[in-house]
Amino acid sequence: MRIGIKARKVAKNLSLHALFILICFVVLIPIIYALAISFSAKTNLTGGIFAVTDFTFDNYIHIFTELDFGTWFANSLILSLSTVLVTVIPSTFAAYAFASMKFRGKTAILMVLLILNAFPQVLTMTAIFALFRNAHLLNTRIGLILVYAGSNTIFAFFNLKGYFASLPSSIEEAARIDGANRPQTLFRIVLPLARPSIIVTSILVFINCWNEYLFASTFTTGEELYTLASGLYALQSNNLARNWPQFAAASLFVSLPVLVVFFSMQRFMVSGLTAGGVKE
Amino acid sequence: MSLAKNNASKKRFDGTAYLYIAVVLLLVAVIVVFPIGYTVYISTTNMNLYHWYDFDFIGFSNYIRAFAQTNGEFLRSLGLTLLWTIANMVLIIFVSLVLAVLLNIKGFKGKNIYKTLLMFPWAVPSYVSILLWRIGIFNGEFGLFGDISRFFGGDSFFILQSYWGAFFASLMVNVWLSYPFTMSMMDGALQSIDQSLYEAAKLDGSGFWRTTFAISLPEIAPIVAPSLLMTAFMQFKQFDVVYLLTLQKGAQTGAGLQTIITYVHTTAFESNNYGLSSAISTIIFMLIALLFSRFAYREAKGRGK
Repeated sequence: MRIGIKARKVAKNLSLHALFILICFVVLIPIIYALAISFSAKTNLTGGIFAVTDFTFDNYIHIFTELDFGTWFANSLILSLSTVLVTVIPSTFAAYAFASMKFRGKTAILMVLLILNAFPQVLTMTAIFALFRNAHLLNTRIGLILVYAGSNTIFAFFNLKGYFASLPSSIEEAARIDGANRPQTLFRIVLPLARPSIIVTSILVFINCWNEYLFASTFTTGEELYTLASGLYALQSNNLARNWPQFAAASLFVSLPVLVVFFSMQRFMVSGLTAGGVKE
Repeated sequence: MSLAKNNASKKRFDGTAYLYIAVVLLLVAVIVVFPIGYTVYISTTNMNLYHWYDFDFIGFSNYIRAFAQTNGEFLRSLGLTLLWTIANMVLIIFVSLVLAVLLNIKGFKGKNIYKTLLMFPWAVPSYVSILLWRIGIFNGEFGLFGDISRFFGGDSFFILQSYWGAFFASLMVNVWLSYPFTMSMMDGALQSIDQSLYEAAKLDGSGFWRTTFAISLPEIAPIVAPSLLMTAFMQFKQFDVVYLLTLQKGAQTGAGLQTIITYVHTTAFESNNYGLSSAISTIIFMLIALLFSRFAYREAKGRGK
């Protein structure tokens, strides 16, 4: 009897494993397929995956020899880091004020920010394009940083505010009773406590900018301003897309740092996004 | 300082708060609100390729055109967006729920490795995976669909060239991109259910299906409802999937599939009709503001406390 139950448990576990191996395989087909193709020696595959016969690392080497990957990488880094600085620092102060200060117009401002957060930025692309053209901000890094700050400031603000609101107010009250003024409380007590959420928010904003291709490819035309995202996008929309193994290699290579960051902070992703609102 | 006095001082308005929020409000005003205002302004002009700088005020003509003179394209894209949102939500909820319930079957060892593998579609930058789908899977010449078709003796198969083919392909990719978030929400919610409920059900002799429908689902519904609402809104404003699969500049597949957001983009950046495009943007803004204001008001009041 006891052995029967145990055998049934093992059988149940085995069938679940079999089922999930199948599910994961089906789900990962696009990625597995790209991985297989990226090691193919043929440049123009008409036979698809069945034509992969020669194994080679050439496609990965070509990324660096034929494309300006170093410049693209540097551009992505400059844009993403600048946007994090421009959005997260002001958002931290604002989030603190909304979480623990009382002032006139608070509900109204919050309501406006929530509605603005729901507006897709792509709908104002024409207006931003026209404004930037007049202000000579097209084809500049500052222009793109402004666009990214626009889509990420409210996101960062709500993300941080959710966290500040969850800190017990007794900690702050204790500091105030001890005679600390507002800025002292903020810098010595609240910010050190909020450090994890500031880091998570910064990483989320960083990834948002790192993955943005549409504004980056519409608002810049020179190859010297390409980011990894807009460069890769241009790579497949130009005739180079015919070289699908090389595109597959570049795609996977670009994704690698994002994958590492994502999985190292996987447990924060869900909570971070439900607090912040919308994934860009 | 007495506690009473401390409480009293907490009630007072603090003017320095405006200093703390000033930079954020300035950023939002300049790079979010101003472009929205400018969009509304462009919508009343005839700005297009021939009138980039010397455009004139033409009143509400663009709004009338949106409804009356686009061969119904605007209204059709609005209808498609509705269908798109509903179809996506049904599939996303179904797929996520099945996976989350399976992952949480009692005594299933090693579920974490599968959970991590199933998160990949979320972790890979979405523009990368959409392009991999387009070139690797859907391309009729050297994609997987073409291979399979030829393997069975058929011709090269271009699913992205027909309207409904493109719709189902986009739906498939979008569900693939979206289920990991919903699945992990539901997984978290399932784990938060009080275990004693399951023990009681087991004593009553309830099986897997009965327990799932009588306990698991009713328990997680209120927990995941807000994030499902958010997910639904994300499908409504989804742009990348349809755009990258079928509408890329210079690589349109001719499917003619347009959601309301891609329609705005095509009108502006393909047809160069900035006035009309801005009018449609403005209509969508008003729709969102209308639908969201009640929700935003409740949220703001609740969060403001």
